[in-house]
Amino acid sequence: MATTSFTAPKLSSPTFQTLCRNFPLSLPIPKTLSSFSFHLSPFLSRFHLHHHHYHPPRFHPRRLFAVRAESENGAEPIRHYDFDLFTIGAGSGGVRASRFAANFGASVAVCELPFSTISSETTGGVGGTCVLRGCVPKKLMVYASKYSHEFDESNGFGWKYDTEPKHDWSTLMANKNAELQRLTGIYKNILNKAGVTLIEGRGKIVDPHTVDVDGKLYTARNILISVGGRPFIPDIPGREYAIDSDAALDLPSKPEKVAIVGGGYIALEFAGIFNGLTSEVHVFIRQKKVLRGFDEEIRDFVGEQMALRGIQFHTEESPQAIVKSADGSLSLKTNKGTIEGFSHIMFATGRRPNTKNLGLESVGVKINKNGAIEVDEYSRTTVPSIWAVGDVTDRINLTPVALMEGAALAKTLFQNEPTKPDYRAVPSAVFSQPPIGQVGLTEEQAIKEYGDIDVYTANFRPLKATLSGLPDRVFMKLIVCAKTNKVIGLHMCGEDSAEIAQGFAVAVKAGLTKADFDATVGIHPTSAEEFVTMRSPTRKIRQSSESQGNMGHEAKTAAGV
Amino acid sequence: MARKMLVDGELNQTNKEGAEYDFDLFVIGAGSGGVRAARFSANYGAKVGICELPFHPISSEVIGGVGGTCVIRGCVPKKILVYGATFGGEIEDARNYGWEVNEKLDFNWKKLLQKKTDEINRLNGIYKRLLSNASVKLLEGEGKIVGPNKVEVTQPDGTKLSYSAKHILIATGSRAHRPPIPGQELAITSDEALSLDDLPKHAVVFGGGYIAVEFASIWRGLGATVDLFYRKELPLRGFDDEMRAVVARNLEGRGIKLHPQTNLTELVKTDNGIKVITDHGGELIADVVLFATGRLPNTKRLNLEAVGVEIDKTGAVKVDEYSRTNIPSIWAVGDVTNRMNLTPVALMEGTCFAKTVFGGESSKPDYRNIPCAVFSIPPLSIVGLSEEEAIEQVNGDVLVFTSTFNPMKNTVSGRQEKTIMKLVVDAETDKVLGASMCGPDAPEIMQGIAVALKCGATKAQFDSTVGIHPSAAEEFVTMRSVSRRVTARGKAKTNL
Repeated sequence: MATTSFTAPKLSSPTFQTLCRNFPLSLPIPKTLSSFSFHLSPFLSRFHLHHHHYHPPRFHPRRLFAVRAESENGAEPIRHYDFDLFTIGAGSGGVRASRFAANFGASVAVCELPFSTISSETTGGVGGTCVLRGCVPKKLMVYASKYSHEFDESNGFGWKYDTEPKHDWSTLMANKNAELQRLTGIYKNILNKAGVTLIEGRGKIVDPHTVDVDGKLYTARNILISVGGRPFIPDIPGREYAIDSDAALDLPSKPEKVAIVGGGYIALEFAGIFNGLTSEVHVFIRQKKVLRGFDEEIRDFVGEQMALRGIQFHTEESPQAIVKSADGSLSLKTNKGTIEGFSHIMFATGRRPNTKNLGLESVGVKINKNGAIEVDEYSRTTVPSIWAVGDVTDRINLTPVALMEGAALAKTLFQNEPTKPDYRAVPSAVFSQPPIGQVGLTEEQAIKEYGDIDVYTANFRPLKATLSGLPDRVFMKLIVCAKTNKVIGLHMCGEDSAEIAQGFAVAVKAGLTKADFDATVGIHPTSAEEFVTMRSPTRKIRQSSESQGNMGHEAKTAAGV
Repeated sequence: MARKMLVDGELNQTNKEGAEYDFDLFVIGAGSGGVRAARFSANYGAKVGICELPFHPISSEVIGGVGGTCVIRGCVPKKILVYGATFGGEIEDARNYGWEVNEKLDFNWKKLLQKKTDEINRLNGIYKRLLSNASVKLLEGEGKIVGPNKVEVTQPDGTKLSYSAKHILIATGSRAHRPPIPGQELAITSDEALSLDDLPKHAVVFGGGYIAVEFASIWRGLGATVDLFYRKELPLRGFDDEMRAVVARNLEGRGIKLHPQTNLTELVKTDNGIKVITDHGGELIADVVLFATGRLPNTKRLNLEAVGVEIDKTGAVKVDEYSRTNIPSIWAVGDVTNRMNLTPVALMEGTCFAKTVFGGESSKPDYRNIPCAVFSIPPLSIVGLSEEEAIEQVNGDVLVFTSTFNPMKNTVSGRQEKTIMKLVVDAETDKVLGASMCGPDAPEIMQGIAVALKCGATKAQFDSTVGIHPSAAEEFVTMRSVSRRVTARGKAKTNL
C-alpha cells in the first residue's frame, strides 16, 4: 500500500484506477467522474466504519474507505463516496475538523489554495488566516515592536545604549516569513500524519456531495466549508491606494507615517506594531472610543495608554477619500478635513466571510446578509450534508473557537456523539500595547443580563513602571453577580493581560464565585495577584435603585481597606 | 477602653474582664503578616500598637524597617533586580527581530540600586501611612515580651517603653542563615546581595533553593560570571522533579555554571578575591560569595523563655491552627512560625488572626493549593501537588499531562529555551491536583490556574475552557493526550 502523498491529487497510482473501475458505483456519477480516479483503499467495506470510533488516535495513513448508507432503514441505496469528509479550506477550523475526523476513522480530504502571505480568490495556504495572515505573524510583529518600549523601560533599570537601537525592517520580514514557511510545512505534516489527503486548489461545491477542485470532482458524504474571512475595505474613492491587514503584515519597507482606519482590535494591534517600530501612527475611528463591544472602562483605558505611547487618535472622523499626491504620498480626506503625508493608509474596517464563488447558491446553502453561512448549533448548514465552521460562519471569529467548532463537528459526525460548541465564557485577547485579556461579560452586558452586580476594579502602576518611570498602568476589573456571587466577567488591560486571563478563564468557565477568588492565595509579586485580592467593590449596581427605566448606577466607594 | 467594636450589630466588649490594657493588640514586627494583622484588627475596632526596628536595607538584630522582608529585603527589591536582569536576555532576543543594538551594552548597576532604594523607601512610607490610616500606633524600637500581656519596646535612643496588651502578636519574620564554615564572614547573604555597591564580576552562589537560583539569574542576566553550588543533584528541592531538571537546564542555558552535589568547605581571602574551596577539592576565585542556605526565625531576642512561649528546634514559634502559641494571649504569624514562608501566606495568617480574635469569626488559614513562584530567569511557578507528591498521596492512578514547547517568541529570536507545563490529575476523580510551569510569565499565568485548583476544578473543566490565542497559557487548556499514567500498583511502597 502506497503511503499517502498529499501534495497533489493521487491520480498516478494504477492500483487506484483499477480499483476505481472495478468499484461498483451505485450512484449517478457526473460525467466528469468517468475519467476520474477515486482515492480508494483496497479494503472496501460496506460496513459502517463509524462503529470503529474507538480506533487508537495514532492513525494509519490510509483509512479504510468508509461507506455508509444514506438512511439507516436501507430504503435508499447505499451510496459510495470518495471521502467521508471533504473540507474546503485548511485553516484552523478546517485542519482541526479534518485531523480529528481522520483520527476517528473517517477518510478525509481537504483542499486549500496555494500559499501566499496575501490572500485572494486564488491564494491562501495551509494554516489559514491564523498562521499566515493573522494571529501568528501579528504576534511576531508585536514581539518585534514591543522592544522599543522595552528599551525605554530598560533605561530606568540602568541599561544604556550608546546609539539609539535602530530597526531593520527587512531582517524582521525575512525572519517572520521564514517562520511562516516553517509553520505552513508543519500544518501540512500534521494533515499528512493524520492521514488526511491534501489537495491544492480552489474548492467549489457542485452538489450536496460533490466538490470541484480546479476541474476535478470529489464526492464526499459530508462537506465542510471552512474558508474563513478576508479583510474588507469600504468603497471610497482612492481605495486602491489603501492596504489591508494582509499587506500590512508583509510590507517591503517600514511605513514612515501610517493612517489606520478603524477602531477594532486589528486596528489597535497594528497601531501598536507600527508605533513600536517607530512609524508615526494616526488612528481614525468613527466613534468616540476604540473597541466597540468591549467593556467601557477597558475602552477608555486602552485608548489613554496607547495615546501616552505616542499614537494619535482621530475620533469621530470617517474617511471619505484617499488622494495620491505627485510625490507619491497619500492624503486622507475625512468628514473633518484632510490629513496629508501618509506613506501608507491601512483599513482595518472589518472582515467578510469568503463565501463568493463557492457554489453555495446552486446547492441551496443559505447565507446571511453579511455573506456568512447560516448554521445550526451543530454547525450544519441548510443542506444536511454540508457543514461550516470558523470565520465563514461569523459566530465568534477566533482561532480557538474555530478549533472548538472543528473538534465538535468531528465528534458529531464520526464519533456518534453530537456535540455543540459551547460559546459561554470564551476568553479573548487584544494584542494592543498594552494588551487586553478578557473573559465573560462586560459591565454593560452584565447589567442587562443580571441586573444586580458588584464591580471590583483596580487601576495601578505596576512595579516595573515605578522603576522605568514610564506612565504605564494596569487596569483590572471583576464583575460579580450580586445574587449568586459568581464571577461573570473579568477584564484586564496591561502587561501580560493575555497570559493572565487564561487561567482565570478556567475559573470563570467553571462558574466560580468571588469567594473562591478570595480564598485563593496570591502569587507575590505579580500583577495577576490583584485579581484574588480585590476586597471591596468599587460599586454595587442595583436595579432597585434605578428610576423610570434609567440605568441608575449606585456607586459605593470602597470602605477604607 | 474607649474603642468598642460592632460585630453583627452586637456590642462586643473587648475588655470584658475589666482589665485595663494599653492596647487590645500589640504586634511585634511590621512586615507583611504584622501590618496586615494590625490593620485588619484595627478595622474591626481594636486598639492596636505595633513596633518595628529602624529602617535599613540590611537587617540585623537591631535593624529592620516597616514593610519587613518582603518590601525591604525580599520580594520587591528582588523582583526589581530580576526585571533589570531580564532586559539582558531581552536585548539579545531583539536582534533577530531586526533591532540593531550595540554589541557592548552599558549597564549601570549604581543607577539600578539607587532606583531600587528609592522604591523601597517609597514603599516603606506607604506602609507607615497604611498603619496610620488604620489608626494603628507605630513605635520604633525593639519589642520584647515581658509577660503574657506585657511588651517592652527599647527605642533607638535606649529608652524603654512598656505597654500592656490583651493580645500580643509575634510577627518578627526571619533572617538569612550562614553555614559555619571557615571564612564564612567573607560571604554575604541575600540582604547584602540586594544592596551591593558594585555588580559582581564573578559571583559564587551557595544553595539550591529559590533564593539561590534567583540571585544566580539576576547576576548572570546583568553580565556576571556565576557559579552555583548546591548539595543535591538538582536545585529547588521540594518542587516537581521534572521542573527542577528544566530549571537547571535553563540556568545552564543562560550561562550559569552549575555544580551539583557540591559543598563549600572554606572561604579564604586573597589579593585577587575570595578563594572558594569545595568538598571536591575544587577551587575558584570570586569577588562575591552568596550564602543562600536557608533562613532562621527571628526569635532569639524576644525573651520568649521568660513567658514560656514554645519554640521548635529551628527556633520557630510553635502555634496551633489559629496561629495561637501555647500562651493563650500570645499569637504568631508569618515566617517566625516557619509554616509556609511566603508573603501572601503571612497576609492570610494575619487576616485570619484578626478575624478570629477581633472579627468574631474563627478562621484557620488554609494551606491547600497555595501557588508560588521562583523568579529565576525564566521563572517557575506552581500550585498544588508535584507529580511525586500526587503519586504518594493519591490512592488510585495519577495522570500526568505535560507540554514542552518552543515559545513563539523564540521562533524568531532563536533563543534555545523550551517552556514546559504540567498538569497532574487524579485519574479517578478527574480533579487537577497540581499545575506547574517553567517559562516566561509563568507566575502571572499560574494565578488564575490557582483559583481553578483551589476550587477543585477537573481536567474536563480545563479542557472545556477555550484558549487565548496565541499565548503560552493556552497550553494549559489544550493538553489533550496524557503523557503518562502512574498506576497505583507501580507506586513506591511505603514502609508498611
